[in-house]
Amino acid sequence: MNLALRDISYHRFKFFSSTLGVSLLIMVVIAIGGIIRGVILDSATIINKTGADLWVVQAYGAHPQGGTLGPFVETSRLPQQVYHAIEAIPGVAQASPLATAWEHVEVMPHPTRLMKFMYINALLNTASMVKPGWMAMPKLQRFIVIGYQRGKIGGPPVIVAGRGIEASHYEIVADVKTGFQLGQHMRLGNFDYTVVGLTKNMVGFTADPVIYTTLVDAQNIIFQQDPNLVRSQRTSITKPFTELAATQPRLAAPLAATAAATAASTLSINAIAVKLVPGVSAQQVAQRITRWQHLKVYTAPQAVNLQLMGSNRLILFQLALFRDILVLIAGIVIGLITYTFTLDKLHDIAMLKLLGAPSGVVYRMILQEALFMGIVGTLVGSALELLIEPYFPRRVVATYGDIAQMLAAMVIVVVLASVLAVRRAMHVDPRSVLGGG
Amino acid sequence: MAADYAIHAENLAMVYGRGATRVEALKGVELAVRPGDLWAIMGPSGSGKTTLLTILGLVTTPTGGSLRIDGENIYDGKQPDLARLRREKIGFIFQSPNLIPFLSVRQNVLLPLHLAGVRGQPAEARVRELLGYLDIADRADLHPNQLSGGEQQRVAIARALANNPKIILADEPTASLDTDRALNVMRLLRQVTNEHHATVLVVTHDHRLITEVDRVVEVLDGRIQ
Repeated sequence: MNLALRDISYHRFKFFSSTLGVSLLIMVVIAIGGIIRGVILDSATIINKTGADLWVVQAYGAHPQGGTLGPFVETSRLPQQVYHAIEAIPGVAQASPLATAWEHVEVMPHPTRLMKFMYINALLNTASMVKPGWMAMPKLQRFIVIGYQRGKIGGPPVIVAGRGIEASHYEIVADVKTGFQLGQHMRLGNFDYTVVGLTKNMVGFTADPVIYTTLVDAQNIIFQQDPNLVRSQRTSITKPFTELAATQPRLAAPLAATAAATAASTLSINAIAVKLVPGVSAQQVAQRITRWQHLKVYTAPQAVNLQLMGSNRLILFQLALFRDILVLIAGIVIGLITYTFTLDKLHDIAMLKLLGAPSGVVYRMILQEALFMGIVGTLVGSALELLIEPYFPRRVVATYGDIAQMLAAMVIVVVLASVLAVRRAMHVDPRSVLGGG
Repeated sequence: MAADYAIHAENLAMVYGRGATRVEALKGVELAVRPGDLWAIMGPSGSGKTTLLTILGLVTTPTGGSLRIDGENIYDGKQPDLARLRREKIGFIFQSPNLIPFLSVRQNVLLPLHLAGVRGQPAEARVRELLGYLDIADRADLHPNQLSGGEQQRVAIARALANNPKIILADEPTASLDTDRALNVMRLLRQVTNEHHATVLVVTHDHRLITEVDRVVEVLDGRIQ
């Protein structure tokens, strides 16, 4: 006869309503863990999925430590032809020039009901924090454009609908989170593009989704200026050469043309993703690139680190701290519930002791009830979290490993929390059942 | 012979506190009760009845004297396992039934057997026998809050009898009952002494019961008169 189960069964409303409260608390703890994992994955996705061992970006001057944190955290700009020199370095299997930038298209807002709910909720929560216009619903779809050379690393790792890029121009593969549909046309920069394929789970560290184009298209989108601006700039750029025409008439025109072409050139890239031959030391190749090519090189883990700890560090720390506080609160709540349940049973405990129940029987009953609450609370909370996970605006990824960890943590928390109740039960005097006289 | 007694107390004393707060609750109590006897312990409030009951029930350790329960010397210098002795030798009945509310009637009666390590068919058979004996077999699956006061008291008696205790200590078992029901309870206890050969000590204020017991012991100022 299990006394804990009998008690739970008899007081099932009280017990399960308390357990539901614990479940909701644990659901929040697991969700915050999932948000933390989401931030980590978002910070690492592009770097990991690209499969590059090294990321080469713009350096500053001659200082060996100087360099941009590009291509995603800071602006980095390199001449395109540099990648040929890197590809020639022993140990480099492939050097893929990439052009990347945050871009946007204007879209007609047609948010889902869930998104409307979240927006209104956000408005209500921030009403006292914002000024008029600050929280207007955005009419832009932001994304990261990544241009790559077909056949090289840096393209979409998986196609979930449609196909990959096959033409040299005007085709894009978009992450499903952009909301773009197959066959949809859109204007990016000075040209129109068609969505030919969809990829999944490709987002940057800010959770903005990625769209892929060919390198040339990305260069056009990112670097090509407005034709009217190019025309007006050409006038001011070629003006000094018209003065030169008086003394050097055969030189002035070609120089002016070259200067204008250089100013309007789009042959720049933002980074080079380098794949090494298996077994080659990444550090050695990185040192060689830094020394001879005057570039900054990051290994893949360093590139992830820049995004994770460079940009998302504080939100990560804040969330982790908040999760710790919630686990502590969950422990205190379970402890208090267990203690209250024990207080309700003091007379029964005294009776059990009078009937000769060994102390272990009483303590086991208290501990089993607390454990049952902790375990059921964790399982129900985990199930609820998995249920609501897809509806969060940003990626939330709670794993079964997280749930197992939470379960283990709750067992420890519950055992500690029931110490207070067990101590109270220890002091119950069986004589309290008897009257006086 | 001391071994012939179910309860044999010699020079039992109980002192609470020290100095100015010192209270002698029991003084030199001598008690020798034979198996199958039904005694009443009477006395005014504060006379020491309950203290005597808690000492005989092995929930209070006396400050002096010796005590034998079913021939076993309880305080012979070794650390006694009082919980085990209570489980095996003593049954308790109270003014209020003190049933465990989250256990059914059957489980309440099963509880002392369970605590004594009696499981399975023998335990179930014993519970059926007791519930039948006390005429509450049809209430077996109900919880205490679904029973009348009289039924609850019968369950409490069944629970007290479950382990075939040598001694049953009853603390004011008829205090809240009318005369008919009080006499019924006492007749039931008499039946227990006759059929189960258990010794029953009833602490009571109730003079209606005097005719139902073998002997009345009066406690006054901590002494047996």
